[in-house]
Amino acid sequence: MRYYELMYLVHPNLSEEEYRDTLGKYHGLIEKNRGVVIKTDEWGKKSLAYTIKKSDRAYYVLLLYCGDPEVPSILQKEMRMDDKVLKFQTIKLNDDADPEALKAEMEEGKPEELSETTQEGEEENGIPEE
Amino acid sequence: MAYQRSSGRGGGDSRGKFRRFYHRRKVCKFCADSSLVIDYKDAKTLRHFTTERGKIIPNRISGNCAKHQRMLALAIKRARNVALLPFTTSIVR
Repeated sequence: MRYYELMYLVHPNLSEEEYRDTLGKYHGLIEKNRGVVIKTDEWGKKSLAYTIKKSDRAYYVLLLYCGDPEVPSILQKEMRMDDKVLKFQTIKLNDDADPEALKAEMEEGKPEELSETTQEGEEENGIPEE
Repeated sequence: MAYQRSSGRGGGDSRGKFRRFYHRRKVCKFCADSSLVIDYKDAKTLRHFTTERGKIIPNRISGNCAKHQRMLALAIKRARNVALLPFTTSIVR
């Protein structure tokens, strides 16, 4: 199975319920095609760097999943037709991945992310050079 | 080396038109600090490597190595695609 990362932008004027529906729709679509969702990360409503389909804000959703190579194209097809999705981008992270191992890694990796503030002193020294 | 010699001769001129340039050696930020990861979702970091206009800063100015510059350019382009970074900021307020 391949490991993919999908980021998509959902229309900001949707109600909470409609927003949940759209998330669930693509979640379900992956699982229907024998894919496994590793993690969903909702960034919430964010302002865009440029307007897309006449809106300058959107809900950002990041979806990590494993699936066969045809899954991204199925999602793509669906999202193109969907007015609620402003934009999407799929990135292949790994050609050969084990979804169970990734899931376990996700749970373990969470506490580690917080401890990334060791070399800040060195960075500060580097800045005045410019 | 040859460049240094010729600029030294230039300094000998009374005109002083060829001023000597002192280059501070630039180090690739990502090589120096291996904990930094290039990620298109991290727009804050990527913004350091774009101009105010949203252009990618060339590695001859930023000092990045070729490998990291390539990764950075890809990340910036991906970030642009999902509107985390602007393609351009030509809109005048």
